Amino acid sequence: MGIAEAGKDSGQFKAAISRKDYTSAKRLLSKLKLHLTEMSGLPPMLEQTSTASEELQLARDVLEHGVLLSAQMDDERGFENNYMQLRPYYLDARSLMPPSQQEGTLTGLNLLRLLVQNRIAEFHTELELIPPQAQQDKCIQQIVQLEQRLMEGAYNKVLEARQHIPHPVYSHFMDKLLNTVQDEVAGCSEQAYDQLSLAEAQKMMFLTSSKQMEEYATEHGWQVNGSTIKFHPSDEAAQSSLGSAELISHSMIYARELERIV
Amino acid sequence: MAVAISSATGVLSLLNEEDDALRLYALQVLNKLVHEFWFQVASSIASVEAFYEDEEFGHRDLAALVASKVFYHLGELDDALSYALGAGALFDLSERSEYVETILARCIDSYIEQRQKAAEDKSSPEVDPRLTAIVERMFDRCTQDAQYEQAIGIALESRRLDRLEQIVTAAPDQVHLLAYSLDICNRLVVSRDFRQEVLRLLIRLYEAASIPDWVNICQCLMFLDDPQKVAHILDRLLKGSQDDCLLAYQICFDLFENEMQSFVLQVAEKLDSLAPPPPPQPAAAAAAPAANGDAPAVPTPSAPAATDNGAADGASAMETDDAGKAPEAGSAPAATEPTAAAAPAPAPEESEEVKSHRARLADVKRILAGSLPIALHLEFLYSHNHADLQILKNMKGAIEARNSVCHAAVIFANAIMHSGTTIDTFLRENLDWLSRATNWSKFSATAGLGVIHRGHLSSGRSLLAPYLPTQGASASPFSEGGALYALGLIHANHGQDIRSFLLDCLRSASHEVVQHGACLGLGLAALGSNDEELFEDLKSVLYTDSAIAGEAAGYALGLLCVGSATDKATELLAYAHDTQHEKIIRGLAMGLAMIMYGREEGAETLIEQMSRDQDPILRYGGMYTIGLAYRGTSNNGAIQKLLHFAVSDVSDNVRRAAVTCLGFVLMNNPAQCPRIVALLAESYNPHVRYGAALAVGLACSASGLPAAQRLLEPLMKDAVDFVRQGALIASALVLMQQPESKVAGFRKQIEKLVADKHEEVMCRMGAILAAGILDAGGRNVAAALRSPAGHFRRTAVLGLAMFAQYWFWYPLSYFFSLALRPTALIGLDSTLRTPQFEVTCQARPSLFAYPPPVTTESGKDVAKIPQAVLSTTARAKDKAKRKAAEKEATEGDKMDTGDKTPASGEAEAMETDEKAGEGAASAEAGAKPAAAPEASSFQMANPSRVLPDQEKFIRFKTPAARFAPMKRHAAAGFVVLKDSQPDKPVEYTSTAGPASGPGSQPAPTPAAPPAAAQNGNTAEDDEPPPPEPFEYVPSS
Repeated sequence: MGIAEAGKDSGQFKAAISRKDYTSAKRLLSKLKLHLTEMSGLPPMLEQTSTASEELQLARDVLEHGVLLSAQMDDERGFENNYMQLRPYYLDARSLMPPSQQEGTLTGLNLLRLLVQNRIAEFHTELELIPPQAQQDKCIQQIVQLEQRLMEGAYNKVLEARQHIPHPVYSHFMDKLLNTVQDEVAGCSEQAYDQLSLAEAQKMMFLTSSKQMEEYATEHGWQVNGSTIKFHPSDEAAQSSLGSAELISHSMIYARELERIV
Repeated sequence: MAVAISSATGVLSLLNEEDDALRLYALQVLNKLVHEFWFQVASSIASVEAFYEDEEFGHRDLAALVASKVFYHLGELDDALSYALGAGALFDLSERSEYVETILARCIDSYIEQRQKAAEDKSSPEVDPRLTAIVERMFDRCTQDAQYEQAIGIALESRRLDRLEQIVTAAPDQVHLLAYSLDICNRLVVSRDFRQEVLRLLIRLYEAASIPDWVNICQCLMFLDDPQKVAHILDRLLKGSQDDCLLAYQICFDLFENEMQSFVLQVAEKLDSLAPPPPPQPAAAAAAPAANGDAPAVPTPSAPAATDNGAADGASAMETDDAGKAPEAGSAPAATEPTAAAAPAPAPEESEEVKSHRARLADVKRILAGSLPIALHLEFLYSHNHADLQILKNMKGAIEARNSVCHAAVIFANAIMHSGTTIDTFLRENLDWLSRATNWSKFSATAGLGVIHRGHLSSGRSLLAPYLPTQGASASPFSEGGALYALGLIHANHGQDIRSFLLDCLRSASHEVVQHGACLGLGLAALGSNDEELFEDLKSVLYTDSAIAGEAAGYALGLLCVGSATDKATELLAYAHDTQHEKIIRGLAMGLAMIMYGREEGAETLIEQMSRDQDPILRYGGMYTIGLAYRGTSNNGAIQKLLHFAVSDVSDNVRRAAVTCLGFVLMNNPAQCPRIVALLAESYNPHVRYGAALAVGLACSASGLPAAQRLLEPLMKDAVDFVRQGALIASALVLMQQPESKVAGFRKQIEKLVADKHEEVMCRMGAILAAGILDAGGRNVAAALRSPAGHFRRTAVLGLAMFAQYWFWYPLSYFFSLALRPTALIGLDSTLRTPQFEVTCQARPSLFAYPPPVTTESGKDVAKIPQAVLSTTARAKDKAKRKAAEKEATEGDKMDTGDKTPASGEAEAMETDEKAGEGAASAEAGAKPAAAPEASSFQMANPSRVLPDQEKFIRFKTPAARFAPMKRHAAAGFVVLKDSQPDKPVEYTSTAGPASGPGSQPAPTPAAPPAAAQNGNTAEDDEPPPPEPFEYVPSS
C-alpha cells in the first residue's frame, strides 16, 4: 500500500473529523496508523528513503488530527496516546521536514492536559524537551503562565484565563482545570484547617451553591455539621499506644545477642 | 544526516492501541529498542506483561521476550529468566550479548538447583522442561564451540551423567577431560553418593579409552572402595609387558601414598587369590604368599624389609631369603634377556613366565604392604637429614632446669625434628639432661623414640626392647607405657606384625599407665583395621573404668574403627554417659569423632546427638565429629553448624573445638579458611582466637599462604599466652617446607621467644613446639593432608586431630608425626631401586635450598656431616657457597663439564660422577655471572627434596635422558621410571645398596655401650650404638 492510498485515507479521515463523525474517524485513524507502521521513513526507524519527507509529513498530519480528534472527543487517554506517537515528529524528526502550523497549538494543549491531570513534574519535563524556538509560541507561553499562577496559588487568575483560550479545543481542558484547582484548594484546606464554615469553603473552592459544597465535602469524606465542615472527623480515635509486649521482646533479643557476641 | 530517536514513548503508546497488528508492531519495535530505552519500557511493563498473560494474544512469546529484557535491566534476574523461558524459541542462545549470557547463567544456576533438589528429595516437583530445553541447547553449543570443560562442569553440577558421558566421548582430547572431570569431581562434588556415581562413570569411560589410564582408574576405584577390581587391573598389568609392569608399580605407589591401609591390604589379598597356584618353592619364599590367610602383610614386609634394610640382626634371615629371592629379583629387571640359567627353578618351562610374574607380584606386594616405600622414605630421610642440632642445643640451654613443660617441649621438638630419620644423637648426647623427665614426661620422652624411628618397621621392637615390659622386673610403668605407645607410632598404619605383641602387652598389663600406652599403641598399629578381637579387648579396658587407661582406650577404639561408622558407636556413647571420669568421656568423644571420619551425611545422627548433649565434653567431641566427618568438603551445612557453636556455646572448650574444626572442614580449600575465621580471630574470647589460629594452621599447613600468615601475625602478639602458643604452632604448620626466604623471620622470632626468660611458659612452649614442627623430619617432611593424587590422607588428618588434643594431654602431641610426609622425589626403576639420574629444577638454586645452619661459637652442626652420598641437597648448598666465594674458578669447571656433556648445553650429569654433577651445577651458576648473579635452574639427583612450591619447576629431561617417568606430571613422591636403554648397566645411588641403607645403622644390639656415642657425628658410623636406656638413671 503506497503513500498515495494513505493520503487518500487521510483526506477521508480529516473530512470525517470536520463532519464530527467521530466513530468513522476513529476507525480511519486506526487504519491509517497501520499504514504508517509500514513506512520505513518514520520513527523509530527513520530510514532515509526517497519518500521519507512525504511520509513524515503525512504521518505528522494524520497524528495531529488524531490528537485533535481525541481532544474533541474528550478522550484523555486517547489524547495522551496519540500525542506520544506524534511527539517524535516534533522532536527527533524535526530537522527532516518543514515545521507544522499546528505544533504550537498541540504542544500547548498537551501541556494543559498535564496541568489538568496535575502531573506537574511531567509538565516540566515536557517543557524542557520543547525546542527554544517553539517555546516562543503564543499558546505555549500562555500555558506556562497558567502553570506559574497555579503554582503560586493565584487560583482566581487561573480561572480568569478561561476567558482567553487560544484555540477552541482548549475549552475542554480548561473546564477540567477548574476541577484540578478545586482539588488543590481542598487539599490545602485539609492541611491548613481543622474546620471551616460552609460558606467560606464554598467561596474558596469556587463552588456555586452550598448544596454542591456539601456534596463535594462528602466526596472527600469530610464531616458537615450544620454550617461547618470538619476535615478530620476520626482523628481523636487514633490514639496510638506503645506495644509493651513488643518492647519486652526487643529487650530480650538484645540481651540474648549480647550474650553471644563473639 | 542520520537521526536517532530519543525516546520510546511513541512506540510504547502504540501498546495501548486496540488493534493487535499495531500492538504486535509495537512489540517488535520495542524488542529492538529495549536495551536502549528499557527505563521507559519499564514504566509500561504492566501492559507488556498483560500481553503475555493474555491467552488470546497471538504473540505472547514476543511479549515475554520484551518483558524478560526489561527485567534483566532492572536486575530482577528471576523474573527475567521466567519470561525468557516463556519466550521459547525466540530466546536466542547463540546471541553474544550480555543479556543472553546473564540469563543463561541464571538459567543454568536454577537448573542446577532444581536438579539437585530433585535428586535429594524425590517428592520435589519435576524440573521445568523449558529450563531443561535451554540447558540442552547450551550443552550442544558448548560441544560445538569445543568448550568441553565448561560443559563438564555444568553436567556435573546439574547431575547429568548422561550428558557428561556424551561430552567426554565426543571430545577429541578424552584423556585430559577425564582427568579434569576426576579432579573437579573429587574437589567440588559435595554429595558423597553422587560422587560415587560419577566415579563409576569415569571408570567406565577410562576403560573405554584406547589407552586406558590405569593410574587414574585405580584412583577412582579406591575412592569407590573396590579392591577386587584394582586387584584385577594390577594382575592384568603384571602379566603384561615390562611397561605395564612399571605402571603397576606406579599404581601401587600411588595407592600406598593415599594411606588407606585396609583397602590396600584387601588389594594385596585379592591379588594373591588371582595369582596362579604356587608351585613348590624354597620354603622361605613360599611362606610369603601362602600364609596370608588372616594377616596378609605379615610375611611380605618382613622378608623384603630384611633385604632392603639389611638389619644386622636379620642378617641370617636375609641370607636365606636371598637364596630364595635371588632368581626373582634377577628376573624382574632382566625380563627382556632371559636369565634362565641363573634361576635354578624346579620347573624351567613354565617358570619363565610364572616366575617373573611371581617376582613382580612379590614386588607389588612389597609396595602395597608399605615395606618398600617406607624403607625408601626412611633411607631418604636418613641420608638427607638437615635438622640443625644447634637449634636444639640453644633451646636446651635457654630453658630453666626446673621447667618441666619446656623440658618436655624440647624433647618433643627433637623427636619431631628427627621424625623418621632414626637419628637420635641429641638424646644420646644429653642423657643426664633427659633423665629429668619423670612420670608422664618420661612416658612422652620414650614415645618420642617412636617418632624418631617412625617407619623403622623391621627393628622397631628391638630398638625399644630396653623399655618394653618384660616378664619379671619392670623398670618404670611410664617408660613401659611410653615404649608401647612408641611402637604404635613406629608401626602406625602398618602394624600387622606388631599387633599380637601389643595385644599381649595390653592383656598382661596391670598398671594403668602401661595400659594407657598399650591402648594408644594398639590403636595406632591397627589403625582403621576394624579388628573385632582388638575391639573387645579395648572395650574391656574401657569398662574397667580407670580414668587413665579408659581415656586411651577411647582414643584407641576410635583409631581402630576410624571411618567405619560402626553401630557400636551407640554403645560407646552410652558408656560416655555412664562414666564419671571426664578423661574417659573425652577419650570416647574423640573416638566417636574418629569413627565418623569422612562419613559426611552418614554422621548426621551422631553429630546431632553429641552436639546437643548436656555434657560439654561430648559437645566438644561433637565438634570434632563434624570436623572429621566433613573433612575437606567445605560443606556449607557443616561450616554453618560449627560457626554457630563457635559463637553460641557456653563452654570455652566447645567453642575452641568448633573453630579449630573449621580448619578440618576447609582443608580442601586452604585459601578460604583465613577468610572465614578472620572475624573469629578478633573475638574477645581467647579460646576462640586460639581455635582460629589452629584452624588456619591445619587448613593451610605447608601452604605458606600469605593470607594465613597475615591472620596469624597479630595473634602471635596476643595478650593471652595460650593464644600466642596456638599462633606459633599454626605459623610453623603454615610455613613448613616453605622456601627459606619466607621462614627466616619466623625463625628469629621463635629463637627470641625461647631465649626470653620473662616470656610466659605457655608461649615459650609454643615456640619450642613450633621450632620442632618447622624443621620436622630433618627439614624434609611436611604435614601433608592430601596425597599427591589429591586424596585425603586419613592418617594425617587423624594425626592432626589428635595432636590438637595436646591441650589436655601432652603425650598426644606425638600424634603429630602421623601427619608428616617426606617432600621427596624418589625415582625408581624396574628393579625398584633408585638409579642415578637427575631432574632439572627451573628456579634459582638458593630459592629452595636448605636454610644455613645456625652459627654459634661451637659451630658444629649436623648439617655438616661429611656424608659422601649426599647429593643435590648438599650440592645446592655447596653451590651457593662456592658461587659467592669463587666465581672465577667456575670457568674451569665449565670447561670441564663442557667436555663431558657435549650434546646439550644443560649439563646432563646422570652418568657422570658426583663431582661432575657438582661442576655442572656450578658451571651453570657461573655461566652468566654478568647478567644474573645466580643460575636460573639447577640439577637435582635422584632422591631429592622437592618443596611443595618447587613442584611446578621440576622437569624431566625427556626424551634426551635415559629415564622417563611412567606417569605424567610427576614431580614429587614415588616416580617409577622407564629405562630407555635397558641394556646398559644402571648405576644406583649408593644409599640404595642393600648393605648400606640407614636401616643397618640403628638396628643392632641394643646393649651396645653408650661410650661409642661420644663423638657427635655417629650418624654415619657403620655400627653406632643405640640410645642409652636413660630410664635406668635414677630420676632426680
